Amino acid sequence: MSEVVGTEEQAEDRTARFERDALPYLDQLYGAAMRMTKNPTDAEDLVQETFVKAFAAFDSYTDGTNLKAWLFRILTNTYINTYRKKQREPYQSSADELLDWQLAEAESHTSTGLRSAEMEALDRLADADIVEAMAALPEEFRLAVYLADVEGFQYKEIAEIMETPVGTVMSRLHRGRKLLRDSLADYAVERGYVPAATASGGDES
Amino acid sequence: MSCGNHHATPCTEVLSLVYVYIDNECEEMKSIQVTTHLEECGPCAEIVRVERVIKARLKSSCECAEAPETLRTSIVATIRATYYQSE
Repeated sequence: MSEVVGTEEQAEDRTARFERDALPYLDQLYGAAMRMTKNPTDAEDLVQETFVKAFAAFDSYTDGTNLKAWLFRILTNTYINTYRKKQREPYQSSADELLDWQLAEAESHTSTGLRSAEMEALDRLADADIVEAMAALPEEFRLAVYLADVEGFQYKEIAEIMETPVGTVMSRLHRGRKLLRDSLADYAVERGYVPAATASGGDES
Repeated sequence: MSCGNHHATPCTEVLSLVYVYIDNECEEMKSIQVTTHLEECGPCAEIVRVERVIKARLKSSCECAEAPETLRTSIVATIRATYYQSE
């Protein structure tokens, strides 16, 4: 920790430092909050609460360490402890135990979900389709995939943000991506971008 | 399952590493082995390519959110109010 900050830091300096360093993450936190809560009102409340908590705890943040991950951890905690309860969504931890057969299936050439022939279909899918497919993922998978692919966090950082072991992060990513890929393949068929016969499943082996 | 050809690193092992590979979380030696395998195995290379495209597409579709200006104003006001209270 630098000599400037710490318990001796003036409240005014801390406020300025917080606005300078933490506030630039507003858009990213809001984007994540939108994926979590799925509606703008709750997302705004969640982000507001996250910043208030982060500011209150800013003394405990060590300057020079990963501020983005620190903020995302507060966001995730706040979401899990407050908003998920408020939204009365069922807790979805059981999702971790599901779909072992898909995990096994993923490790062969025969089940790519979207095949190379369908890559063109992926290009034709609208952003809204991708966002919708993400929103439909079980929560813990959705969060892990979002943090890895949209925010670019490393596994270790995601583990800290979600307060789970790295192995659990990898498992959630694996399963989440597989589900997402299958669902995008389904959208491509529904939109008529690929014939149903060639989409997903091990029919060409 | 394998593509039927012999590789120094089998397809099954490579396929189990696809995500850690595209996430740059693969340890260096393994990463080199996977890269070598992908150069000689079309089906595995295709899978990795698809996964990379999906990963990139996901990012471009989901990262465009912009927080409302009113939210920014409200957060700044709350923080400054906290500061004045603490004086």
